[in-house]
Amino acid sequence: MRADRPAFVAAEQSPDMDVTVEVVGEDTREVVIDDGETYADLVRAIGRSPQEVTVLVDGSPVPEDQPVTADSVTVLRLIKGG
Amino acid sequence: MIQFSRSAYDEVVYQAYNGGDEEICGVLAGEYDADHSRVTETHVAENVAETPQTRYVMDPEEQFEIIETIEDAGSEIVGFYHSHPAGPTNPSETDADRATWPKYSYVICALDGYPFVGSWRWRADEEAFEQETIAIEQN
Repeated sequence: MRADRPAFVAAEQSPDMDVTVEVVGEDTREVVIDDGETYADLVRAIGRSPQEVTVLVDGSPVPEDQPVTADSVTVLRLIKGG
Repeated sequence: MIQFSRSAYDEVVYQAYNGGDEEICGVLAGEYDADHSRVTETHVAENVAETPQTRYVMDPEEQFEIIETIEDAGSEIVGFYHSHPAGPTNPSETDADRATWPKYSYVICALDGYPFVGSWRWRADEEAFEQETIAIEQN
């Protein structure tokens, strides 16, 4: 190995991730997010507030501060009030 | 307008009564229309609010299961209902702040006097509830 070869560091680029998002009672859409973005980021990407929805993966809620790992999620608009 | 079968209407009132001083909540199913929906079934859900005397929060997993059950049966979501054990008869500010299903019916059964059942469609563009007429089918 040549010791004098200049080190080459590839620019770190976040790969995109396609996620299928079904909003219950509304529609289904494809959303492209960066790797490492959270479920809350995904919710904001479809124009929703994380406070008004729950994200479900396979029917179970997932923590919204966790990075997205599922390629298909369900967004449930919460029913609550006073 | 929202039209109830007699049994579905009575069920909302019974459930509200049986909830005592705590709010009850559930999903209304039947035939949805932006102008004239018809309710044939009620699906009660657990109220998981920390203060159920003055708040309601439908358990999300249960809400999702109920919606799937309704759709699997070929029926439609018409709206949602909850009770106001101590009134008022109309939606509260909290109801408006937290409404998330535009054009769907939000039914309230108030128990501060004789039961009063009212229904409102959520108009997201106006951020307001619009009251609608309730009709009850005669058997």
